[in-house]
Amino acid sequence: MVRLTRRDLGAAALAAPFVLSGNARAQAGGGTFRIALGASLRTLDPAKTTIGEEYIYDNLVFNGLTRMREDLVVEPELAEKWTFSDDLKTWTFTLRRGVKFHNGREMTAQDVIATYTRILDPATAAAPRTNYTMIEKMEAPDPYTVIFRLSYAYGGFADILSDRQVKIIPHDLVDQLATAPIGTGPFMMRSYTPGDRMILTRFPDYFEAGQPRFDTVELRIVPEMSVRIAALQAGDMEVVWDIPPEQVKPLGGNSGLRVESVPTGSWDAAIMNNAIAPFNDIRVRRAFHMAVDKRDVVELVLFGEGAPTHSPIPPNHPFFVSDIPANRADPAGARRLLAEAGHRNGVKVPLVIPVGRPVRERLGVTLQQLARPAGFDIEIQRVPFARYNAEVSGKAPFYIDGYFARPTLDTGTHPFLHSEGSWNQRLWHYKNAEVDRALAAARLTGDPEKQKVEYLALQRAMVADPPGFIAYSVNFACAYRANVRGVKTHPMRWFDLRAGSIGT
Amino acid sequence: MASYIARRLLAVLGVLWAMTLLIFGIVHLLPGNVAYMILGEYATAEAVATLEARLGLNDPLWLQYWRWFSGLLGGDFGRSLVMDRPAGPLIADALAHSAILAGISIVLVAIIGIALGIHSAVHKGTLSDRVLTLAQYFFIAVPEFFWCILLILLFAAWLGWLPATGYTPIGEGGVLRWATHLILPVFTLVSGLIAHVSRLTRSSMIETLESGYVLAARARGVPEGRVLRRHALPNALLPTVTVLAVDVGILIGGIVVVETVFAYPGLGRLLIFAIENHDLPLLMAGMMVVTTVYAVANLVADILYAFLNPRIRYGRAAA
Repeated sequence: MVRLTRRDLGAAALAAPFVLSGNARAQAGGGTFRIALGASLRTLDPAKTTIGEEYIYDNLVFNGLTRMREDLVVEPELAEKWTFSDDLKTWTFTLRRGVKFHNGREMTAQDVIATYTRILDPATAAAPRTNYTMIEKMEAPDPYTVIFRLSYAYGGFADILSDRQVKIIPHDLVDQLATAPIGTGPFMMRSYTPGDRMILTRFPDYFEAGQPRFDTVELRIVPEMSVRIAALQAGDMEVVWDIPPEQVKPLGGNSGLRVESVPTGSWDAAIMNNAIAPFNDIRVRRAFHMAVDKRDVVELVLFGEGAPTHSPIPPNHPFFVSDIPANRADPAGARRLLAEAGHRNGVKVPLVIPVGRPVRERLGVTLQQLARPAGFDIEIQRVPFARYNAEVSGKAPFYIDGYFARPTLDTGTHPFLHSEGSWNQRLWHYKNAEVDRALAAARLTGDPEKQKVEYLALQRAMVADPPGFIAYSVNFACAYRANVRGVKTHPMRWFDLRAGSIGT
Repeated sequence: MASYIARRLLAVLGVLWAMTLLIFGIVHLLPGNVAYMILGEYATAEAVATLEARLGLNDPLWLQYWRWFSGLLGGDFGRSLVMDRPAGPLIADALAHSAILAGISIVLVAIIGIALGIHSAVHKGTLSDRVLTLAQYFFIAVPEFFWCILLILLFAAWLGWLPATGYTPIGEGGVLRWATHLILPVFTLVSGLIAHVSRLTRSSMIETLESGYVLAARARGVPEGRVLRRHALPNALLPTVTVLAVDVGILIGGIVVVETVFAYPGLGRLLIFAIENHDLPLLMAGMMVVTTVYAVANLVADILYAFLNPRIRYGRAAA
């Protein structure tokens, strides 16, 4: 924990008017913003964060070189600008000058290089390491320039630097990250009591003038959803993070509250193992898609808080293939296709569903019922989610799982769908030449128009040869007190509180 | 008396040692893997293997046990693997919060439970006894999680009198705010236990009041107040003391539920956190603390019992 004495705080408060001069008025009366979360943060080391509650913290206390806005556009953050070589293998970032860490020291190229060196070191056990292994070498010709040299061409490199865990940390204070973390972000971590709350206070020297406006942000940990909602209604909280889909409409009718439900790149699927029967036959995989109308699935599983999709690319993305009509359930057609594949009496297959993930459990039971008329005799097997990694992923013939949005289309598709992808072997063992080609080509260009052509081709290939039943993109919803201003619900499930304030 | 206490103390130490074996054995049978929990769902197999080796998870179990046990002897509770900080201070913080809840609760249970029990026994068969009996059965029958949600909806969401969740240190918000955070959890914790203790005190008191020596005392003209305090109460309280010690165990179980629902940062929450994240060192340390609390409560009950009952105090010589 950061041990700030009263004197430090007093000094900061005295210094603030001088530092912020022109913006002092805008910052007056920021108030306290209390966020109700379900689970304790497990680590304060951004490189090791792995759950949504922790990503909220990452984005309040730290900054990345780049930032993803809530409309999914990537913009400069600690890097002011960047250029890349024609072969997409050399990326040069120019750092913003005068950015201070919470202890007053200026952030320089040395900190950036230390951050990425640490993430790439296997001994660190950083969660996102494999996403950055293309970094071969880093150089700092001067304190405000960092050059990344990549081992292969990668068009989305600036995009992945906006991700949740790759936040710039002070090179000389790595040892205290787990207990007294310091970053450059809009808020400073003041104290953390696991199981209770984290208290963050405004960083007066934050590099973006006039921001942030809240004096204090509290992350309050309340395990029970019904209690979180009661606390919000009582005015003990300003927002409940990540409300379940069945609560969106009831809470939205409450006059003191405002519910925001936004589309995201998170998706749930019935994973089909393409290496073993019965789903090693493309006709069985297609028959399953004919059997089920995804719009029914969205209504039954998500209470309408989502949208059908063909791939991890969500329907609100500009690269979504919108000219493929949603298919109505066609049990007779599905039966014919199954018979063609040699399953005259239908297919009997077990479906593993994750205990403790209510939405995904519901998806499993929904599919069991919807696919029955087409001849799919599905036997539900309930397995605790904690055992998935060891027993289910990539092994079971048929199981329900889900994946959270990743920062770019490439990181959201390539690992899962390319035949050499790191995730493919732990899901469906999928192999399709056109999919491989499109994924590789999209990565080799920095031009969005060319990328779009490739991602459209990818989705068409996946409709013709589905790896599994990707059911929908899930909405992400938060419930706010009606007087909260300037806080946007981010599809990556964190908050951008820089412009947030409490209205009257 | 001294040798009696010494023997009980030795027995407690024996129990604690046996518990280290049992706890170590049980937690290592739990399914799951902390390396996956730390690295997240996108972890690669190599990364998991590297981390397992670094955390010493591949060492033989007897070596892991020895490392843990010898650490405990030296006062080292180990290190939380997930939070990457020493388990000792984490547990001390959480225990302090839980101790406030549990301490207030057990005192209230003892005082109110015994007082109500005596009142019922002395006024046996009257209207107040019957009303109390009805209320006692009601509070024993209704589980605590029901009270949790009901109280929050009533007092926090609807009336807005009390905070729904959390804990505020006295140093931050003053005594009043500190107390308002405790009312609902404490009520939830004690409601069933008070009913339980008062039922037991009532029946044991009635039995004592009907015994020969109380009759003899009354016959000698001892005032009724003195009969109650000097003659009946010490004997009637013997079973109550034992039950209070057992109730400490029930209280610890109840605290896990109450802390979770009221989002109170205590030991119960920490244990659940450790289980969910497969953080074995933290879990084992927490379980050892709970075991110790329970063992000490029973030790205190044994000593109190001896104090109240000379036959135990003087061992076989008096029998």
